[in-house]
Amino acid sequence: MTRTLLRVALVLPAITAFFVAMPGALANAVAAEAEYHHVHITSFAPAVSVRWYTEHLDCQPIADRDDAADCQGVEVTFVPQATQGSTQGTGVNHIGFSYLDLTAKMEELESIGSRGSGVRLQRFEGGEMIREAPGLFKYGFIFDPWGTRIELVEDPDRVGFHHIHLSSTNPDETLEWYQSVLGGERDSLRDRIDGLRYGDVWLLAMEHEEGIPATTEGRAIDHIGFVVDDLGNAASEMRSAGAEFQQEPTVPENARTSARRAFIYGPDNVRLAVVESGFAGVDSTFVEETIADSTPYDPAQTPWGEPDLQGVWTGNAAHGIPLERPSDLGDVENLTAEEAAARREGGTLGSIWGYEREWRDTTLGYDKNAPSTQVAMIIDPPTGRLPERTPEGQRMAEEASRAASLYTENRSAGPEDLTPYVRCITRGLPGLMMPSIYNNGLQIVQGPGFVAIQKEMIHETRVIPTEERAPLDEKLTTYLGDPHGHWEGDTLVVETNNFNGRTNYRGSSADMKLTERFTRTADNRLEYQFTVDDPKVWTQPWTGIFTFNLDNEQYDVVEYACHEGNYGMTNILSGARALDRERAEGSR
Amino acid sequence: MAQLSRDRRLLAMIERHCSGVSVNNFGVLSMKQLFVSVVTTFLFSAVTLSAQSDEVPRAWDNNPDLNGIWQAIGTAHWNLEDHPAGPGHPDLGAIGAIPPGQGVVEGGDIPYRADARQQQQDNFENRMTNDPEAKCFMPGVPRATYMPHPFQIIQGNQKIQVVYGFAEASRTIHMDKANPEAPPIDSWMGRSHGRWDGDTLVVDAQGFTGEAWFDRAGNHASAALRVEERYTPMGRNAIMYEATLTDDTVFTRPWTIRLPLYRRLEDNARVLEFKCVEYSEDLLYGHLRRVPTREAPDQ
Repeated sequence: MTRTLLRVALVLPAITAFFVAMPGALANAVAAEAEYHHVHITSFAPAVSVRWYTEHLDCQPIADRDDAADCQGVEVTFVPQATQGSTQGTGVNHIGFSYLDLTAKMEELESIGSRGSGVRLQRFEGGEMIREAPGLFKYGFIFDPWGTRIELVEDPDRVGFHHIHLSSTNPDETLEWYQSVLGGERDSLRDRIDGLRYGDVWLLAMEHEEGIPATTEGRAIDHIGFVVDDLGNAASEMRSAGAEFQQEPTVPENARTSARRAFIYGPDNVRLAVVESGFAGVDSTFVEETIADSTPYDPAQTPWGEPDLQGVWTGNAAHGIPLERPSDLGDVENLTAEEAAARREGGTLGSIWGYEREWRDTTLGYDKNAPSTQVAMIIDPPTGRLPERTPEGQRMAEEASRAASLYTENRSAGPEDLTPYVRCITRGLPGLMMPSIYNNGLQIVQGPGFVAIQKEMIHETRVIPTEERAPLDEKLTTYLGDPHGHWEGDTLVVETNNFNGRTNYRGSSADMKLTERFTRTADNRLEYQFTVDDPKVWTQPWTGIFTFNLDNEQYDVVEYACHEGNYGMTNILSGARALDRERAEGSR
Repeated sequence: MAQLSRDRRLLAMIERHCSGVSVNNFGVLSMKQLFVSVVTTFLFSAVTLSAQSDEVPRAWDNNPDLNGIWQAIGTAHWNLEDHPAGPGHPDLGAIGAIPPGQGVVEGGDIPYRADARQQQQDNFENRMTNDPEAKCFMPGVPRATYMPHPFQIIQGNQKIQVVYGFAEASRTIHMDKANPEAPPIDSWMGRSHGRWDGDTLVVDAQGFTGEAWFDRAGNHASAALRVEERYTPMGRNAIMYEATLTDDTVFTRPWTIRLPLYRRLEDNARVLEFKCVEYSEDLLYGHLRRVPTREAPDQ
């Protein structure tokens, strides 16, 4: 990977598909007489990925390996590394698994549902999950949560890991290249699809539909791995067959065995690893982020002499920190780096029902920021939990819950039944400051006496005066209230009231007084502390905290034209009307 | 007498600017009182007093300081071109009528290609439902500048943020980045890169969706639109705004609009949040209500 992982020595997961050698199955191998060894998949939490492939695709865990699963002889390896999206558009279109009863398998996957599991079905145009290719077999497609497209087929000749399907500008030449460099047996799958056999696992190639395939490196399937007995001999044979090495044979840093590995590029920008027998992957250890310099930070000043908070910040590292301390964590001070990664992974799996992995990972920049190990946002009360509600607060909460169930029953009679967020009006305060599922940028621009804070998600810009000004009359309420800022040392303190009460945060009311404190604690860190004082709802004020990270170099805040493109609203309402009609017809 | 008259103007402005000093009828003030008032004002608010001069305020780097709240006055938001009065929605009576106005297009008319002029007329016919302003969509550039709402400029040392209030629109003028050949992505407000040309802030805005209109008359361009804006201070309280619009697919040549922007001088001037989405929802989704309030739009 050419991208630097900042100072976080965190290795991120990627999938490596190693095609495992099938002894005795080699024929006509021209050069290396290699066998499939592995498929290398990019995944942030390898253990989660192993579990997913074990649970859903009948792979087996490998003893002493928490980063790989054995899929019927082909190792699927999950490696944390910079991730730049799914397999779509690369030279590897998909990998294939075969089942004796595809219909049953698809039904099983459908019944799991994507929410929480990340199992996504790719239905055909008519909505069906399975099609039958005449003379071939039945097939359908799913995605894993890391963006790998997976074909499921019903081929009784080979059950389990079945094939890798390349996407090629010239499939015939591509297969010839693989055969001359890596061996394999030229064959035809059911006399219908030309391919190569490595053991009884297939390498197939289809015509790439548009342009030149994108490189696999850094994508969900980073590379495909082949295994040979002696990499030294194989490498020279491969070189004479025309292979170009991206990395010469070497024992990788942190390798678990002394077996060597090399990287070459196949046709169509497909990255290939060739490993020696005995290769057992590379140890990827999480190292917690530490701030090396403990001297107090002296923040930069603007040319006109105010603390300088300007830049593009993101809440990526804070993503996944719950507001309240989970009850099962007792008084644990911090999560371990692994636990933090697993927590954020869990959040991602929980959201894949609505958003693709690629969408989240690329917009959240997961490759850059190690997830925060903070247990909860709330630091006061010290329990990490919201304080007790007042009787009025309790009544309001019950009313809100009744209204929510009424809304479900009412099925969106009109746009007003949906939340201000769904309607693209606002995420409210302090809601809009919270790390968002994507478009997580926060841009700060300062002028003398004013700080403009622009949140990318649904696009909202707050203009904070840092000099005293007359408050708005209490009749003049707005969604985001009337902010008054001032500097306390190097901290920007913003006090806001005059809310219209049409949004709420965890049940807050229009009476809320919000106090926010922005402190730059390092060049690249902005600590954000928020105190909600709402005596109508809670018996005491409460305070939360998290940190934004600077990303001036790569992150560009884009225009989130939420309302302008709110097709979701049209779809929700027209769907509700269709249900109305169904219900009316049913009752007739 | 001339001096007194000048002082009266000065005092009237101080009165507006400094809530600590209240002079209702300075005709009865003695010169001493006047002196005290002025000195007090000076002590409490040097900034306010310097504000009285008509010199262009300067930022830390000696470029003009455009920080403040600005607003266009006129009818450009109704129609950039010369237009007589006209009827509006009948339910609104004279409130909805189109006020007459003189155009802000240099040389008179917008140099449309023939089919593009037809498109403008179609837009105008269907403005009640099709104008992006009615839908509470972001107004785009240059329309955001002369809508009948104030906007605020926050001029930093790296970027300039312009916050418009209506539809929560805002834009970042990058003063610190190379202008990319192609904007990274199309957007309603476009991608803006700025530079100083003497005392003029020159902004190159492009990368638009092509869906924004220029006014309530349906004047328009395509996604190929490129706008060069020039903000030239005319003393402390006004900026001459010029925008040259280039789009070969819609216009026969580049053309320029020119209008002043005025500083809002009220003590409590604010760009108030105007989240207008909810006022557009019936227009956009009324046909999808359980009890429809409108007919489905033509597909």
